[in-house]
Amino acid sequence: LAVAVGDAVPSQVVDHYENPRNVGSLDRNAKNVGTGLVGAPACGDVMKLQVEVDENGRIVDARFKTFGCGSAIASSSLATEWVKGKTVDEALKIKNTDIAKELCLPPVKLHCSMLAEDAIKAALADYKLKQDPNKEESEKKA
Amino acid sequence: SGRSGDGGGALRPLYMDVQATTPLDPRVLDSMLPYLTAYYGNPHSRTHAYGWESEAAMEKARQQVADLIGADSREIIFTSGATESNNMAIKGVARFYKSRKKHIITTQTEHKCVLDSCRSLEAEGFRVTYLPVKKNGLIDLKELEAAFQPDTSLVSVMTVNNEIGVKQPIHDIGEICRARKVFFHTDAAQAIGKIPVDVNNMKIDLMSISGHKIYGPKGVGAIYVRRRPRVRLEPLQSGGGQERGLRSGTVPTPLAVGLGAACEVAQEEMEYDHKRISQLAERLVTKIMSEVPDVVMNGDREHRYPGCINLSFAYVEGESLLMALKDVALSSGSACTSASLEPSYVLRAIGTDEDLAHSSIRFGIGRFTTEEEVDYTVQKCIQHVKRLREMSPLWEMVQDGIDLKSIKWTQH
Repeated sequence: LAVAVGDAVPSQVVDHYENPRNVGSLDRNAKNVGTGLVGAPACGDVMKLQVEVDENGRIVDARFKTFGCGSAIASSSLATEWVKGKTVDEALKIKNTDIAKELCLPPVKLHCSMLAEDAIKAALADYKLKQDPNKEESEKKA
Repeated sequence: SGRSGDGGGALRPLYMDVQATTPLDPRVLDSMLPYLTAYYGNPHSRTHAYGWESEAAMEKARQQVADLIGADSREIIFTSGATESNNMAIKGVARFYKSRKKHIITTQTEHKCVLDSCRSLEAEGFRVTYLPVKKNGLIDLKELEAAFQPDTSLVSVMTVNNEIGVKQPIHDIGEICRARKVFFHTDAAQAIGKIPVDVNNMKIDLMSISGHKIYGPKGVGAIYVRRRPRVRLEPLQSGGGQERGLRSGTVPTPLAVGLGAACEVAQEEMEYDHKRISQLAERLVTKIMSEVPDVVMNGDREHRYPGCINLSFAYVEGESLLMALKDVALSSGSACTSASLEPSYVLRAIGTDEDLAHSSIRFGIGRFTTEEEVDYTVQKCIQHVKRLREMSPLWEMVQDGIDLKSIKWTQH
């Protein structure tokens, strides 16, 4: 559907909604699944990001669900794409600035990419905690 | 899909945002064209035919505006729009009477230009009471009565709210103010030409009018200033004394003519428009609510203008829904769509939970909205709400029986 007027939402962002990848859920009770839930409904941004890690510490699957604007959806969607195939430590290196650059997010939307980075870290922290429950528990996410 | 019938051949989104602005009614454009082409005189030029014909057109327009609201044409002053009119009314009246009166009453759901005018008066030493509204968006008349002080000079309450469409009890407010001899101003930008408004039977002393909300041109409006009893105001704009000294500056004849024509057309079409728009609004709301659960209408169901519908779709964020509905022009009360990242203050004032405020969409139905456009909008809205809920962690948690209010969310 061609729209003559200039699109205010960058096409990369819309694409993540129109052609969703990795929307959904993994079994949060599985030992090798890490679940991160960040944000707050009152802020208009909530991201749930899940990773499935194999016995070699490599992320083999990822899923997300987001309550938020187009940029938030795109940021979390991109995050799931990028974590796949990475080791846990490699995934922890993903920066919000890379996400924002890839999606051409304007300054007013940078917080969406930051929340996506937080979501990755929260999922991986949850996964690590499940592997070694004796470690000091960080604040429980849902 | 998405064709809105005008020229150019390219597809444009359906326009469902009439509270933001309206297209020019073709009859209004027709009335303006001569004054944009051949009859270009300055209406204040007293010495030649160009001026006389321009002045005649301006005065005819003035009468048309007056007729719509039951006023005398000498009580209509042309301005650049309702924002200027609101500034004039509030600052102008407050400053004129400031030696004896220092207090103003308004509401928390007024348009930004009213609230901001009040704030700037507070910086000048005036006191302002911002009345809260009930959950349905209406003010409590008892709270209004209690708010009056011996030095209250003005009460300002909008007739129809631009975000949620609620209609304040203008009749009752007028009575209360008149009984206490306090001037009553109403921002009627979203009301005139849509619902009957009469300055005498509603006891209104000042009224703001906007051209581009009633299928007239942008850049013009008017302020109604009562002559009996006389309302005095200190002008904002100084100059050659045009518009009874209240608003200097050359009156833009083509725009004034357009405003007048828009008012006349609105008066003729009001009943028909209201009936048709009510039906379309009913259709939209009923269809959406019968297909989609957890939808809240913001604002009183009854005391409203039907063409402004504000719905919150729980568990779906407003801007994402607007993005999904890309071939329909709509707006949202979500923070993402405002420059300040704060959700709508109107929704906050009616007590909407913050997450629902982020989930709100405003649908505007106007004179030119077709049933086909409403049906398309409804269909797409239902489709995308369902899809976005599938993508929503909140919806998932609710389906799993989790109470969202029990969750300790992270802050960012």
